[in-house]
Amino acid sequence: MTAATATLAANAKPVRRKGFEPAVLGLVAPALLPVLVLSVAPLLYGIYLGFTDARAGRNMPVHVTGFANYVELFGDADFWGSFRIGLVWAVGVTVLQFAAALGLALLLNQKLRGRWLARTLTLVPWAMPPVVVGLMWRLVYHPQAGILNSTLKDLHLISSNVDWLNSFTLALPAVIAVGVWAGMPQTTITLLAGLQAVPGELTEAATVDGASTWQRFRAVTWPALRPVVTAITALDFIWNINQFGLVYVLTQGGPGGQTRLPMLFAYEEAFRYGFFGYAASLGVAIVLVVLVVLAFYLRRMLKEAV
Amino acid sequence: MQRRTLLAVVPAALVAAGTAGCSSGSSDGPVTLRFLSLAWQKESIAANKKLVAEWNKKNPKIQVKYVQGSWDNVHDQLVTAFEGGDAPDVIHDESPDIAGFAAQNYLQDLTDLLPSALKNDISAQSWDTVKFAGGGIYGVPFLQESQIFVANRKLLQQAKVRIPTVDAPWTWDEYAEVCRKLTVKGKQYGVAWPLSAPVNKVLNLSLNFDGTFFGTSGGKTTVHVGDNEKQVLRRIHDQLWVDHSADPATVGMKGADPLPAFFAGKYAMVPAGVYFRQQVVQGAPKGFDWVTIPPLKGTSQHQGATSQTLSIPADGKNQKQAMQFISFLLNGPNQATLALGDWLVPTSKEAAKDPRLTTTKDDWNVATASQQNLVVAPYLKVDGFDEWKTKVATPAMQQYFNNKISLDALATKLVKDGNEVLKRYQK
Amino acid sequence: MSTARRGGVGTPLKYLALLGYLVFLAFPLAWLASTALKTPREMASLDPTWIPRHPTLANFAEAFREQNLTQSAGNSLLVALTAAVLTVLLALPAAYALVRFRSVLNKLALAWVLVSQVFPFILVIIPLFMILKQLDLVNTRGGLILVYLTFNLPFALWMLQGYVRGVPKELEEAASVDGAGRLRVLRTVVAPLLAPGVVATFLFAFISSWNEFMFALVLLKDPDLATLPLTLVRFTGADGVARLGPLAAAALLATIPSLALFAVIQRRLTAGLLAGAVKG
Repeated sequence: MTAATATLAANAKPVRRKGFEPAVLGLVAPALLPVLVLSVAPLLYGIYLGFTDARAGRNMPVHVTGFANYVELFGDADFWGSFRIGLVWAVGVTVLQFAAALGLALLLNQKLRGRWLARTLTLVPWAMPPVVVGLMWRLVYHPQAGILNSTLKDLHLISSNVDWLNSFTLALPAVIAVGVWAGMPQTTITLLAGLQAVPGELTEAATVDGASTWQRFRAVTWPALRPVVTAITALDFIWNINQFGLVYVLTQGGPGGQTRLPMLFAYEEAFRYGFFGYAASLGVAIVLVVLVVLAFYLRRMLKEAV
Repeated sequence: MQRRTLLAVVPAALVAAGTAGCSSGSSDGPVTLRFLSLAWQKESIAANKKLVAEWNKKNPKIQVKYVQGSWDNVHDQLVTAFEGGDAPDVIHDESPDIAGFAAQNYLQDLTDLLPSALKNDISAQSWDTVKFAGGGIYGVPFLQESQIFVANRKLLQQAKVRIPTVDAPWTWDEYAEVCRKLTVKGKQYGVAWPLSAPVNKVLNLSLNFDGTFFGTSGGKTTVHVGDNEKQVLRRIHDQLWVDHSADPATVGMKGADPLPAFFAGKYAMVPAGVYFRQQVVQGAPKGFDWVTIPPLKGTSQHQGATSQTLSIPADGKNQKQAMQFISFLLNGPNQATLALGDWLVPTSKEAAKDPRLTTTKDDWNVATASQQNLVVAPYLKVDGFDEWKTKVATPAMQQYFNNKISLDALATKLVKDGNEVLKRYQK
Repeated sequence: MSTARRGGVGTPLKYLALLGYLVFLAFPLAWLASTALKTPREMASLDPTWIPRHPTLANFAEAFREQNLTQSAGNSLLVALTAAVLTVLLALPAAYALVRFRSVLNKLALAWVLVSQVFPFILVIIPLFMILKQLDLVNTRGGLILVYLTFNLPFALWMLQGYVRGVPKELEEAASVDGAGRLRVLRTVVAPLLAPGVVATFLFAFISSWNEFMFALVLLKDPDLATLPLTLVRFTGADGVARLGPLAAAALLATIPSLALFAVIQRRLTAGLLAGAVKG
């Protein structure tokens, strides 16, 4: 390992492989095949639906309507209203989640006593079946018999009960808190795994050089962690924008539509009202916006991939 | 999803296989039926399982497989199953949901399959809740829910108010007065309205004042909100924000959420469906004395009714056998058992006479009697009601009950935005 | 982020911060356990307590008596474990190849992986159902495993390529310079550094399969095949009313295996795997 460190210290130039190796195909194909069969085909079909007037119904005729759905979609104020809420939700959850998870991952990466237990407990939100998660949080937020209000009152932080999920101002922050909670394990574990992969020799070498904790983090940890950070925040953002089940259980989109996420909107279009064509176009619109955001966010990473 | 133009990977042959032999039921060989049940209460699951076992013993050639689903997801499950041509043989659901499936031709019109004994035993009002798409019958209605109040008898007695009976119910005015009397500032409210899902509740109760919310002329359905429709809305809102006899903290609640405070004596009454008595019996502290308040009276005691239903898919291969099973499961004595298990009211006239459903224990007599007030809910027949409810009515009513908009603003939204939504279904 | 040095005043602060995190993350589990031990009467109390006043095991008995929890748990374990193992086995070589051998194809593959995650399942579920029906995979565990594999793979690829990228290529190259063969380099240098990432990915795949509800609901019709989430939901009713006691009891039992699995992996991982392998 000393050789490796030495080479690294000498700042070896990255060797770039050119050309195409058949071996690569052998390694990649098994993973891509199921994805292609079971997700590309349905996706293409979904995109096609967006250009039709498909509706739920036995032997229902379908006509290709070109961009009619998209024209309608542009004028759909309800949808864009929910889109705005969706962005607040997705960005809010992703950013808070990342900040909180990074802190926790750094703590868990230290030599603290009982950290295996701490690491295990970190997984709780994720290990709990989604069926009960929403119900549990409803109980926690219950304005009268909820453990949150009773705890806050015991701590004298509030004097009267707060109706978290029915407040026009607090409902969205309250569900964002649940969103952060629910996604913490994924983000934390991912970041922790990234931290563990930072070669200890590097940190030690930097410590010997007399670097402070913050300097070490900036110079050694962060650069090694960055690809993981990019990967997980991008995924978190996507997952959050696609999320609606959890929020639906908590508020059903209320009060007064304050927590109505765009994917809930599209889901209801398809499954409740049966407008498959229009729902598909809503889905595609959401995807396009997300892709633009991501392309901007990931441009550097994708450039490196070539 | 449309099959003829579907991707090459899903050949038409697949669909042909699904529809072939539909509604024939010609073969008399042994069949296995899948029965998707949504029973979830302990007693109700036990009753269903027992009845299925009894049937299977008696009918070796028509075996029924009991599959338990859940109310929260049944719609998604069925949409996918119908689209994929793979629905259960006997489907438990409720009339608002099957209205949509009937309009989409997924369900079999049962008119010609129904045995007369079953048909005659179920009240005409109940049959109205399953007639859609040109008068066809798309399910057998079996359990119904009427809106009552569960009250804390001790608090009512302390306030010296008259406790209403089936024969002498409260009027809405009397009820409002009682709630004011039952309110002790800072300590106790007359009533707690859980209104997170307000639409069905408000619409069902509005029939007390002949408020129908929808009207059809020239084959076109539109929303209308006049004085009749505003009555119940205003009266609930007044309790919350004028009389202060209803706790605004419960406006965001649903179902059983107000129970802890009700048991603690903070609320004198909670409005609910008749099934709610079960929640009360199960959760009430020892010695808690409660009473069921029969439906209130406006210009009438009418309430909008929907039903739990058993349906058969249009593509079902064993429709005759499925109907035989349904007739067995929903005969008088069995319906009484199912009603007891779910704490709801049976549609069977024979079942309604069952002594277990007319006893004064747990106010079954009040619950069963309330069925006479049920009339078919007008919104059941409105194409696009579900979207109107989700997109327009629910958020608007939530705003109104949270005192964010006026009654007139609410009425305008319900009508104007509502008619926009309905247009989509009348193309 | 802590700026404190080891052994200084920072350490108690670190424990305090960690405790804060754990309270936030784990208290619902404690509440679940507390609920599982309460009677319906106590659950309807206005001043809830953490420790049940009249603890009871009736909810567990009821949950087991009524639903075939053991069988569902077995189904879930089989499906989730198989899906997770396959996910890692297929994704790891692919991720490595995608990062180490750069080409346009790889860029496309990566972009696709991301795009496929963006598409909401509602666009996919019905056509997917029909494809599986044609392959005769509806109502089989195999079909469900295949679906989970498909939906785990993109994100597994995406995560793993992040970890591979985090392994300095220089290390690998240096080892090659030392004269080690490619496979040996992978085994002795790359694998240990990737181990935490692989474990994390495996966990992702396992838990998301263990908890998945919608596809299981749609694909499995035979109650004997039902996975745990399908069984759990049977304790919920309409209008947000649920049989909280049995539900909490069953949910608690469904939560524990994932946590136990992780605890075991975790202990082994910290105990030796990493350190030992790196030195070797």
